[in-house]
Amino acid sequence: MRRRLLFILPLAIFCVVVIISAIALQETIMGTRDTRQLPSILIGKTAPALALPVLTTNQRDKRTGPVLVNFFASWCAPCRAEAPALSALSEQIPIIGIAFKDKAGDTTQFLDQFGNPFSTVFMDETGQTARQWGAYGVPETFLLDADRTVLLRHAGPIDKQTFDTVIIPALNTLN
Amino acid sequence: MIAEIGHFALIIALVTSILQASVPLIATYHAGLNDYMRLAVPLQLLSAAGIIISFACLLVTFITSDFSVALVAQHSHSLKPMLYKISGSWGNHEGSLLLWCVILALYGTVFACSSRALSRTTHSRILAIHAMVSIAFLSFSLFTSNPFERLSPAPIDGQGLNPVLQDVGLALHPPTLYLGYVGLSLAFAFAVAGLLDGRIDKIWAQALKPYITAAWCALTAGIALGSWWAYYELGWGGWWFWDPVENASLMPWLAATALLHSTNVVAAKEGFRSWTVLLAILGFSLSLIGTFIVRSGLLTSVHSFASDPARGVFILGILMLAIGLPLCLYVWRGPQLAAKNTTSFMVSRETGLLINNALLLVSTAIILLGTFYPLGLEVMTGARITVGPPYFAATFSPVMGIAVFFMGIGPVLAWHRGRLSHASLLFIICGLSVGVAAIICFSLGIKPAALAGISLAIWLLASIVSDIILRLKPWRIAGLGARTLSLPAPQWGMWCAHFGMVIFLAGALGEGLYQREAIQRVQPGSVISLGPYSITFKQILSLKGANYQTQTAELALFDDEGNFLSMMMPEKRFYPAEKQVTTEAAIRSSLLGDVYAVLGDGDDDKGYTIRLYHKPLVSWIWGGAAIMVLGGAIAAFGRRRKTPLPYHEDTV
Repeated sequence: MRRRLLFILPLAIFCVVVIISAIALQETIMGTRDTRQLPSILIGKTAPALALPVLTTNQRDKRTGPVLVNFFASWCAPCRAEAPALSALSEQIPIIGIAFKDKAGDTTQFLDQFGNPFSTVFMDETGQTARQWGAYGVPETFLLDADRTVLLRHAGPIDKQTFDTVIIPALNTLN
Repeated sequence: MIAEIGHFALIIALVTSILQASVPLIATYHAGLNDYMRLAVPLQLLSAAGIIISFACLLVTFITSDFSVALVAQHSHSLKPMLYKISGSWGNHEGSLLLWCVILALYGTVFACSSRALSRTTHSRILAIHAMVSIAFLSFSLFTSNPFERLSPAPIDGQGLNPVLQDVGLALHPPTLYLGYVGLSLAFAFAVAGLLDGRIDKIWAQALKPYITAAWCALTAGIALGSWWAYYELGWGGWWFWDPVENASLMPWLAATALLHSTNVVAAKEGFRSWTVLLAILGFSLSLIGTFIVRSGLLTSVHSFASDPARGVFILGILMLAIGLPLCLYVWRGPQLAAKNTTSFMVSRETGLLINNALLLVSTAIILLGTFYPLGLEVMTGARITVGPPYFAATFSPVMGIAVFFMGIGPVLAWHRGRLSHASLLFIICGLSVGVAAIICFSLGIKPAALAGISLAIWLLASIVSDIILRLKPWRIAGLGARTLSLPAPQWGMWCAHFGMVIFLAGALGEGLYQREAIQRVQPGSVISLGPYSITFKQILSLKGANYQTQTAELALFDDEGNFLSMMMPEKRFYPAEKQVTTEAAIRSSLLGDVYAVLGDGDDDKGYTIRLYHKPLVSWIWGGAAIMVLGGAIAAFGRRRKTPLPYHEDTV
């Protein structure tokens, strides 16, 4: 009998795969699944610690209230596009910048040229931290509350529409 | 008119396949009807003719750009080069399905006209089961994805083909991959027929071997072509991404590799019979599951074109019948096969192959888990996660590492009862080479992961080389030629394929552990340093191609002493007809490694983003795959021993 069980095993595994696929397929057809954008696994969880070298920092950063974390790079064109949005946001909330796969000299030049909206800039030269945060690439922005819990993630540049309909409402609910 | 002929030929093929699946199979169970088994071969030829005529008609509609056919209008364009008009016929869901049927027909026909050593009963049953697979795919094509649908009114011109797919590598990739997948369907038919017969013996395995080897070669070549295409065309700077679609092709490859090895045990010793049957069913199941993943859009993938959930329902239906029923049959009949297993000694070729099988199956399970776990978790808890390269690097790589270690041991042991002492000289040589290599690596301060990988590659290489030397005894000149010729082709094929693995490993290690990357925004005159190279960005050019415009960066590549090596011209192409932008990486390839450059966004004011990679030994990955395929080809088609093979009494 125990021998027979071994022969049932492939059938059993196959049944599990089929059942899972059938349910997922039904949800896909009903339209209850969105296969394009994955939500961040960090939502509702404490953000990973930032153990990175600091490029610049200023006194305004007391790390008490909510904070935005923005992954950017000097070589990334959309990051330039979102510079005005970030500088407008920096009036309302401190922003931590993480330079992704960038060199310190290039980052400094970028900040000189497009303005520095960041209270602190960290250097993530290997991209290791971006991976821990589950970032797709740059630019990417996370909203953290006072307890460093991730409330929101936005992949891609913050354009006018995202600014008005996503970021500002999220900040308002915090206040 | 041509399209209607094609449609009609496809219907005829379906009807003949239904006859082929039923009449000969029933005839094998009734003594009075035995003569009707003779119908299996002509019916197979007839349905193959129908499918091939149908595919020829599809080709004609694409070559003549008949835009009244919906498929041609959607996927072709009158301005496209002829080669891509032809490859466009299978670069879409409907056409690729028809191509799948064509390859099914080819395998079926080759089998019908050969494999004369099998008894007529077994031969007819295999053809009947193979016809059932054909029925499934023909009805899938006819009822859900008819390639010959007309469009009225016909548009003036087509909507073109995805420019990413206008590429020679990709034109060849699907046919090659399908040759592999579909070859596994023949192995599947062998397995099911074997279960029905209750007779799995040397003759069965000898008949199966050439098809398995051919399918394995095609699958290896197909996967390598796909990976090569992703490397130089997509411009992501990698060759394997552990994407669900890639996993879907790797799982059947692992199962096919295990099957290839265990079939040899059946052919030599009639051992591993229930294993072999299971692997044959699994190999085909996994290629069906792969098709299911790709076509249904169930999993998030970078390769998702031509996906439609509604078609997924049909494939899931096929999957349940085609895999569920044989697995039930396996539960019922499998234990009887295992009961007659011949006993072997602990130290033997059989044990080596058993370990190989187990490790390959474990690695298949790892990938299956990594691919379906996110889906299962989502169905049960609603949470969405992705399983990425870190999981596979941590699980798949060590298992394959152990498999490579045993690849160095198994082949040198004798069948039935091997003696470790016989192979001890060989193991001493291997151990010494690994030791020397490890000491050199360690003194150079190499990473532990690289040390382990290099040791394994050296171990395998030393095992192959010393095995060849110990068998040929080149120090005794007399009779060296005779000894070389007396070794059977499969032996040479095995050495060659295993040597391909060594080359592949070297490439994967070099690329994986020693790759360098630089991303920078540059103005004309900027210099980027990349390991031993420095690259100067000269300027951006605007050029015109056949049916696209480009932005081309001029990069000058220098080595560490400042010597000019070559110009590199990465491109961004804009296809006006498709309104699509593609990137063309510039690759300077050499045996020692590639320099890989990609042009990103930018303009003259802000500068341009350039991504550069240095990838040591990366071309060895595909070189290794090519050597593996060559090894398979030698084993399948090379000269064999002159001894006549056994055959069943009641043959065709």
